[in-house]
Amino acid sequence: MLSFSARKILPGFTLDVAWEAGDGVVALFGASGAGKTLTLQCLAGLVRPDAGRIEVNGRVLFDGADGVHLPPQQRRLGYVFQGYALFPHLSVEDNVGFGLRDRPREERRRRTTETLERLGLTALAARRPRELSGGQQQRVALGRALAVDPELLLLDEPLSALDPPLRRQIRDELGAIVREWGKATVLVTHDLAEAFHLADRIVIYDQGRVVQAAPKSELLTRPASEQVARLLGVRNILRGTVIKATPEIIELRWQGHVLEAINSPARRYLPAADTSVAFFIRPEYVRLIRKDRPSPDPGHHMNRMEGRVVGEVDQGTNWMLRFKLDGVEPPGQDGYDLEIEVPKLVYEMLEIARDRRWAISMHRGSIQVLPTS
Amino acid sequence: MDLYPVWLSFQVATTATGLTLLAGLPLAWVLARRRFAGHDLLESAVMLPLVLPPTVLGYYLLLLIGSRGPVGRALGALGIELAFTWRAAVLAACVGSIALLVKAAQAGFESVDQRLEQAARTLGRSEWNIFWSVTLPLAWRAVVAGTTLAFARALGDFGITLMVAGSIPGMTQTMPLAIYDRVQANQMHDANVLALIAVVSVTALLMGLGRLARVRF
Repeated sequence: MLSFSARKILPGFTLDVAWEAGDGVVALFGASGAGKTLTLQCLAGLVRPDAGRIEVNGRVLFDGADGVHLPPQQRRLGYVFQGYALFPHLSVEDNVGFGLRDRPREERRRRTTETLERLGLTALAARRPRELSGGQQQRVALGRALAVDPELLLLDEPLSALDPPLRRQIRDELGAIVREWGKATVLVTHDLAEAFHLADRIVIYDQGRVVQAAPKSELLTRPASEQVARLLGVRNILRGTVIKATPEIIELRWQGHVLEAINSPARRYLPAADTSVAFFIRPEYVRLIRKDRPSPDPGHHMNRMEGRVVGEVDQGTNWMLRFKLDGVEPPGQDGYDLEIEVPKLVYEMLEIARDRRWAISMHRGSIQVLPTS
Repeated sequence: MDLYPVWLSFQVATTATGLTLLAGLPLAWVLARRRFAGHDLLESAVMLPLVLPPTVLGYYLLLLIGSRGPVGRALGALGIELAFTWRAAVLAACVGSIALLVKAAQAGFESVDQRLEQAARTLGRSEWNIFWSVTLPLAWRAVVAGTTLAFARALGDFGITLMVAGSIPGMTQTMPLAIYDRVQANQMHDANVLALIAVVSVTALLMGLGRLARVRF
C-alpha cells in the first residue's frame, strides 16, 4: 500500500500531486517533463519535497509536517534508473550484490547467486555492463534492485533505452519478472501501450499535476475530462450541445443531428440543457451501414447520419477513413467530421476505395460524454 | 659528484604529493559535488598558484611561515622550525602543485554520472563508501593524471622553494636548485648529469602512470 502526496517548487516547474496505489503495478503516465521522474526521486529520498507525506506499507518515509525525511539509504526501495545506471567498473555479479554489503558474507553470496539464477544471468556473472545487450543490462538493473528485497520497485522508463523490435520482447520479459517477484511497483512511462501492458492502475500526469488516477480498465471508457481523453490520444473528441440529460440518457445536438448517448451509470452526469460538452466515439465503433442488407427494423441503427469518405490513412492492418457529413459547414474536425476505422478486409469487401457515399450509425452505448472539468 | 639533491628532490616531491592528495581530493570532491556560498571564490583561489609568479607566492608564503609570521611563530612555540628546512621545500612543492591535482580530480569527479551515486544511495551505501566504491574508481584516470602532473610539478619547483627553503647544499638544495647552482659555478658535467636524471626519471614516471591509467572498465 502506497500513498504519495508531495509538493515541490523548482525554478519554472511545480510538482503538486497526490495519489494512492495498491499491491500491483501502478504506472505514472504523461509527457516528458510532467513530473514523473521527480516523483520517483521524491519517493526514493533523492529529492526532498517542500511539503506532503509519503507512506509505504505503513512506514512513513516523508512527512513535511513532522519533518520526517528518511535518507535514501533507509528507504529500502529498488530503483531502476532510466538507462539503468549500472556500475561500469563492476562485474554483473558485483552490481547485483552491491546493495548487500552490510549483510553477512554467507547471505550476501546466497542472495546474489539466487538473484542471478532467477534472472538467467548466471552465465554472465563475470561480464562488465558494457559487454551486455540492452535487455541483459535491464535484467542486471532489476536484479540489483530486487536482490535487497525492497518494499517497492521503482522503474523509470525501463524500455526507453531499447530499439523498437527488441522493445516488445523485453517488455513482456519485464512484465513476467515483475509478476513473478510480486513486488508492488511504480512504473514511469510516456508510452501508453507500455502503461496498459504492464500496469493495473494508471496515474495520468500533466504539467506537475495528476489529472486522473484509475484502474486501467476504466480509463479508456471513462476519461475524467476532455484533457485526459486528449492525453490518452483518444480520437474523435467532439463538441456538442446538451438537449437534455437524464440519469439514463444524454441527448446532444451535434452538426445538425440529434445524438443519443447512454449516461454512465457509475457516474450520473447531468449537465444542464444548452451547455456545451465534449464527447467522443472511438473510430472502430462507428458503423458503416451496408447498402446490400436492409436493416431488420427502423430502430436498428441509432444515431444515423449520411455523408461521404473524403480521405483515408493506411494504418497497416486497418484503414482510417475521414468522413464528412452531408449539409454541414464547416466540418467538426480538420476538413472532416469523424474518423472511422475499418479493417482492411472490410475496406476491400465494401469497395470503399470506389464507393464514397455512406450512411453511418453510432450505438448510443459507444458515445462517451466527457465531464467538463 | 654529490647526488644528494636527487634523493632530496624525490623525498620532497613524494611527501608533497602525498599531502597534496590528502588535501586535494576532498577539496576537488567538494568543488565537484557541493554547491555553497563561496564555491566560485574557492575555485578561483585554488587556481591562484598556477597564475601568480612563483616568487610572489614564495614571498607571501615566507611572510606566513617565517620566524615572525603567524604560522611560523605558532610552530616556533612548539619547537618546530619550518622556514629554510626541507619541510619548507615540501610546503613549497605542495603550494605549487595542488591546483593541478584539484583541477584534474574535480573534472574527473564531475564526469562521473551522478545517477550512479544516487543508485548507490538507494542501495544503502553511505556517502563515504560511495566515494571509495563508485566515484573514485570511476574518476581514477583523471586522478592518476592529476597526481602525475602534481608530482612532476613538485619535483621541478624552483621559485617558491628558493624563497622559503633557500638553496642550502646538503639541506634544502633540491635538484632544480642544484642544477642552477652547478651552471653558475660552471660545473657543466654535474649539471648535465643532474638534468639527465631529471629528464629520464620524469619520463619514466609519466610512462608508468600512463600505462596504469589506461585500465578501462
